[in-house]
Amino acid sequence: MLKYLMKRSGIYLIMIFLTTSAGYFLAVSSLKPAVLEQEKIPRPTPEQVAASFRGLGLDPELNPWERYVQWLGGIVTRWDWGRSPNGAFVNAEFADRVMVSTRLFIASIILTLVIGVALGVYSAARQYKVQDRVITSYSYLVHILPAPIAYFLVQLGAIGINEAVGQRIFFVTGISTPGIEPGWPAFVDLVAHYAVPTFAMTIFGWAGYQIAQRQYLLDNVNADFVRTARAKGLTRNQAIRKHALRVSFIPVAQSIAFTIPAIFTGGFFAEAIFAWPGIGLWSIQAISLQDVNVATATLAYGSVIFAIGAILADFATTLVDPRVRVQ
Amino acid sequence: MTNIIDPIAEIDEARVGDQDVVIGKSRIIFRRFMRNRTAVAGLFIFLALFLFSIFGGFLTSWDKDTLDPLNIGMPPSPDHLLGTTQAGIDLMALIVDGTRTSILIGLIVGGVSVLISAVYGCTMAFFGGKVDATMLFILEALIMMPAILVVAVATSGSGGLKDLPSWLLLVVVLLFFSWMGTARLVRSLSMSLMQRDYVKAAKYMGVPSRRIVWRHLVPNIGSLLVLDFTRGITGAILAEVAFSFIGIGIKLPDVSLGVLIGQATGQVSSFPWMFWVPLTVMFLLTGSLAMMNDGLRDAFDPSSSSIGRAKTKTAKAAK
Amino acid sequence: MSTNTSQTPAERLRDAGLYAPGDAVLSVRDLNVRFNSENGVVHAVRGVDFDLMPGKTLGIVGESGSGKSVTSMAVMGLLPETADITGSVRFKGKELLGLSDKAMCKHRGSDIAMVFQDPLSSLTPVYTVGHQIIEALTVHNPTMSKQAKEARAVDLLRMVGIPSPKDRLKAFPHEFSGGMRQRVMIAIAIANDPRVLIADEPTTALDVTIQAQVLEVLHTAQEETGAAVVMITHDLGVVAGMADDIMVMYAGKPVETGTVEDIYYNPRMPYTLGLLGAVPRVDTSGKQSLVPIEGTPPNLALPVTGCSFAARCPMVSDACLHGEPELFPVPGVEGQTLGHKAACIKADQLSGDADAHKIFQAPPKPVSKFDGVARAERAKVLELKDVKKHFPLLKGALIKRRIGTVKAVDGLSFDIREGECVSIVGESGCGKTTTLLEIMEFHPDQVGEVVIGGVSNKVATDHKTKMAMRKEMQMVFQDPTGALDPRFTVYEVLAEPLENLGMPKAAIKKRIMELMKLVGLQPDHVNRFPNQFSGGQRQRIGIARALAVNPKLVVLDEPVSALDVSVQAGVINLLDKLRAELGLSYLMVAHDLSVVRHISDRVAVMYLGKIVETGDVDDVFDHPRHPYTRALLSAIPVPDPALERTRERIILQGDLPSPLDAPKGCNFATRCPVFAALPAAKQEKCLTLEPPLASEKEGTQDFACFFPDGEIDSDMLVVHA
Ligand SMILES: Nc1ncnc2c1ncn2[C@@H]1O[C@H](COP(=O)(O)OP(=O)(O)OP(=O)(O)O)[C@@H](O)[C@H]1O
Ligand code: SF4
Ligand code: SF4
Ligand SMILES: [Mg+2]
Repeated sequence: MLKYLMKRSGIYLIMIFLTTSAGYFLAVSSLKPAVLEQEKIPRPTPEQVAASFRGLGLDPELNPWERYVQWLGGIVTRWDWGRSPNGAFVNAEFADRVMVSTRLFIASIILTLVIGVALGVYSAARQYKVQDRVITSYSYLVHILPAPIAYFLVQLGAIGINEAVGQRIFFVTGISTPGIEPGWPAFVDLVAHYAVPTFAMTIFGWAGYQIAQRQYLLDNVNADFVRTARAKGLTRNQAIRKHALRVSFIPVAQSIAFTIPAIFTGGFFAEAIFAWPGIGLWSIQAISLQDVNVATATLAYGSVIFAIGAILADFATTLVDPRVRVQ
Repeated sequence: MTNIIDPIAEIDEARVGDQDVVIGKSRIIFRRFMRNRTAVAGLFIFLALFLFSIFGGFLTSWDKDTLDPLNIGMPPSPDHLLGTTQAGIDLMALIVDGTRTSILIGLIVGGVSVLISAVYGCTMAFFGGKVDATMLFILEALIMMPAILVVAVATSGSGGLKDLPSWLLLVVVLLFFSWMGTARLVRSLSMSLMQRDYVKAAKYMGVPSRRIVWRHLVPNIGSLLVLDFTRGITGAILAEVAFSFIGIGIKLPDVSLGVLIGQATGQVSSFPWMFWVPLTVMFLLTGSLAMMNDGLRDAFDPSSSSIGRAKTKTAKAAK
Repeated sequence: MSTNTSQTPAERLRDAGLYAPGDAVLSVRDLNVRFNSENGVVHAVRGVDFDLMPGKTLGIVGESGSGKSVTSMAVMGLLPETADITGSVRFKGKELLGLSDKAMCKHRGSDIAMVFQDPLSSLTPVYTVGHQIIEALTVHNPTMSKQAKEARAVDLLRMVGIPSPKDRLKAFPHEFSGGMRQRVMIAIAIANDPRVLIADEPTTALDVTIQAQVLEVLHTAQEETGAAVVMITHDLGVVAGMADDIMVMYAGKPVETGTVEDIYYNPRMPYTLGLLGAVPRVDTSGKQSLVPIEGTPPNLALPVTGCSFAARCPMVSDACLHGEPELFPVPGVEGQTLGHKAACIKADQLSGDADAHKIFQAPPKPVSKFDGVARAERAKVLELKDVKKHFPLLKGALIKRRIGTVKAVDGLSFDIREGECVSIVGESGCGKTTTLLEIMEFHPDQVGEVVIGGVSNKVATDHKTKMAMRKEMQMVFQDPTGALDPRFTVYEVLAEPLENLGMPKAAIKKRIMELMKLVGLQPDHVNRFPNQFSGGQRQRIGIARALAVNPKLVVLDEPVSALDVSVQAGVINLLDKLRAELGLSYLMVAHDLSVVRHISDRVAVMYLGKIVETGDVDDVFDHPRHPYTRALLSAIPVPDPALERTRERIILQGDLPSPLDAPKGCNFATRCPVFAALPAAKQEKCLTLEPPLASEKEGTQDFACFFPDGEIDSDMLVVHA
């Protein structure tokens, strides 16, 4: 198992390297921070700009390949992911950003999963009944609603509640109120900030799991081994619960791991709408600020998350399916 | 001895008995599609929107570049059927334009990405071995790239693509990321098709590989491709809206549904129609496609739930 | 009797109830099952009646779609809720139909248990075998202690013949072979000592040797539990030795019932008669053609107006079309428990000496122009010289590492002469298919030499030689549906090889019409799609395609195994006819030795990639020398109850060993019944030396064994008295 993990990780490392490198070239050839510097007042001379960028390791006069070598050298020798045009170090901000994103997503990832799988099972058990139709139609509806718009609608709703109550209960943007005193008030503040994004991401997130779990379970409801279980004397519901359900988890377990990167992208929209300064938002800001190094770093982060997801998927499969257990 | 009953075959079987009318599978599929009322409704809505996006300009005397200084930020009125923006532009004219852009993006991205994935997937399956492994590696590497960043870099950058209109740029970028999943599906489907006896039979007859792919593989993955086409259109329309909504997709002066929705978010309470009207149009568009997709899947899939529907019908008739 | 026709079902039910002997464990009366489908209501089971006596065995026989499985599932209460079931199913007098799922659960698994057809998918992949057996115990004995349950599970596994049962409790189903999984299924079924055991084609998916083992296990299980058995099958041989009574079903209805002797020796319904004549027999040489039953069963979604067999019946007359004949007692037979009944208005015209061949107008056995020529004087159309195919054996689902080599084909040499049919037989996994593929691939890099029509694969490097060879040899596949592209019309299917040869359009058209006639299809059906044909017709299309380019040799991969018996006979007769008329040679792979005996001239028995015995088919089948051939032949049940009941059979132990454990000497030693009976001194020889394939005296029969005709170990010999 360990050997296998090592091998897979090796392959993914190569892939991460390639995608990140490709991303770097894309960024370095299309992002030109100098253009923004020109708009500063007082307007610096091109020589000044070039000089200041050279100091930051962003020399615009070097060709992309030279800059790539310089950039890669920094990472390999000093684990230094470079600097922004304004002089900030990428490494310094990275950890904070990752923390913010993780904090934002973790609750909704878990909620989405639990609710989605539970609803999938519930609706499969009531196939073609009203409950199933309502739940499944909702999931299909979510599929044709773009995430940012969905989040925006939730925001509108939260504002509506605030107005109806006449008092600000929910924050619809931001991460915390600055200068709040620690203890109970800080906790209330935290919840008030968390509630809306978590709610939004959860109710628009579970659709995929619900549909998948429902489908896999239905695929197994009439399987031969369920019939065997019933022939033993289990009722239909017992047979489904004990046999079909367990088998239907196998593909779901796989897909769960694969959706983690999808949450990263989806989360990007959430960060943008709810104004949480996470990785996703950072990457977008980096682009509007023509910041090559930050853009590439966030891209690398995305690839790493993907690789972890894929390896987790393998791992999950071996856990739930005895047929692929490695001795 | 298993009973593999293909309902399509059964329908025919009933006919084989009395007369010699050969019905093509496509006709049966068409019939099954038409039997699905939701799908037909979807088709009609989509066609209506399509016509609206082309000829809708005739419904209003205004165009999207003309300001009406007398009606700034006005709700719907006989003069401006859908109201005006705060700049005084007729919303109807904007929506006709935006719908057209969205449909155009959907059709191009959906169509071209299906083509790319079919070619890429079939190539992988057909050559197998090293070619397959390399192409699969590239595919997975591309899947790993967060699409959004590339969208953002490409649309905001000052590279060679800059001269393209922003909607075309978005098309290129969406295309780049939309075909991988289907390519993988096509690959596994063709691999299983290659194991079919009729492909082996052709091989053992000495039929050249090229012909086998063309005559046996491509038609048999057709239903997957058709389904993926409608799904691809929906995906592209949604992606356009999402990206434009947060300001990294289509840029003015190009207008799309996403741009219209995104622009209106700031003033939902003061100019609600500016938000809700384009949103409704987007919903109709993606919804109608989803309805059609459902019907197409049923029509292609012999074991689909349409049996369930026939059942309820006969059950009612029995009462 | 004549009043019966005017009775309502309810009245018949009451009457039948009166006649039902009180001590039947299971009584089924007027069982009807309807399904709603897209094409209307399918009336899948139409009035099934039977009584099952304690400890007795009832065989239900019929072709695919005749309603056998639906009947059994209705008894078990396992049909989908949407099925409309009427009539009565009584277990020891208690009505089961209409019970709720929950109430039914008390009976399922404890009173009535079931074994299903496909052992591979019938066990839950994620639970251990022990868990699944214990579950069956827990359901009906909630108070039983854990140790007691485990002990019982071990007992059960031992009873069904699983070696080292204690360790095997912790194994997952995927670690078991098909035969072993079916044993586990039987263990689960008998866990609670059921009174009724229903087995729905329990051996159809298994190899003959494994089938013999499983039937033996079922026999033991019945003895141990004293359960009454309902044995469902399409194979008249399987039930001949086991069943006391037989019910023949056709189009959802019993068409003939009676004791085994009644049915096998005195059939009174043309369908039964045809079925019995349609199966080739492994114990007699096939010098007579088989009885073909043309046509297909009726569509059960359409209302039945006359005899459902009328469309295929050679004795049909106008009277048959007016009203469906009831199941009437056959005149002259009295006093049996079930009574011999047949649903045919002409039952009395079919006395015991009715000749199926005459009635069904079986064609005469065709004679080929080569039949008179001595084998040595005929040209070789195919020759294999020491052909080998070894695969690396990889292990691990995720990381593959090579742990050895599978010698799928290990030094095969044989030849085929003009006009003869050579068959390769053996258990699945012995390398039959690989051999065919190696021949079809015809690649210069193969190990060993393949010579087709004088062209060796060693020189077939260019496209032209290959094309020439492809014209010599064509293939017919096992699954007639999978072998035809569903999107091609028959015309396109048949045109493909001809277009490939560059034949002009007009000639293609002419040739296709010829071909259609040749294989017995209507020429005007050419623009239909494959799904508009029945299985037998599809196989005919496959044969026509193979013949399109006028090959000398046709490779047949299990050509009839996917077809029903009645249809199979027609295809076998066609193959026979074509061989004679066109002077074709066949290379056939088949697991059904009866079919092999019927159509081949020579046979090669394969075991673990090697030929262990080969020779003229009658020599090998009548006087098998190699212990494996002997075991294989004795595993085939014959459709003759008297013979089946008294016959000695050799039951091989275990499955085909993993190719990795192939022993050094004779690779059959691990399962050899002769070896087991040898004194240790002689065993040494089998274990160290590899027996060569050679003939004993001047003869055509070669075998690879040091102790031919040796005495069989008594543990592996079974006689049912
Ligand atoms: N769930 C179902 N819905 C609709 N029709 C069904 C269903 N199950 C069975 N049938 C139909 O009922 C008829 C009898 O089927 P059944 O499975 O009993 O045949 P069988 O004799 O067991 O055949 P086989 O030898 O292939 O197992 C067939 O025409 C089949 O198509
Ligand atoms: S009733 Fe007539 S058609 Fe039916 S089996 Fe008897 S003879 Fe044949
Ligand atoms: S050589 Fe020995 S082990 Fe092999 S078949 Fe003959 S008796 Fe059996
Ligand atoms: Mg069956």
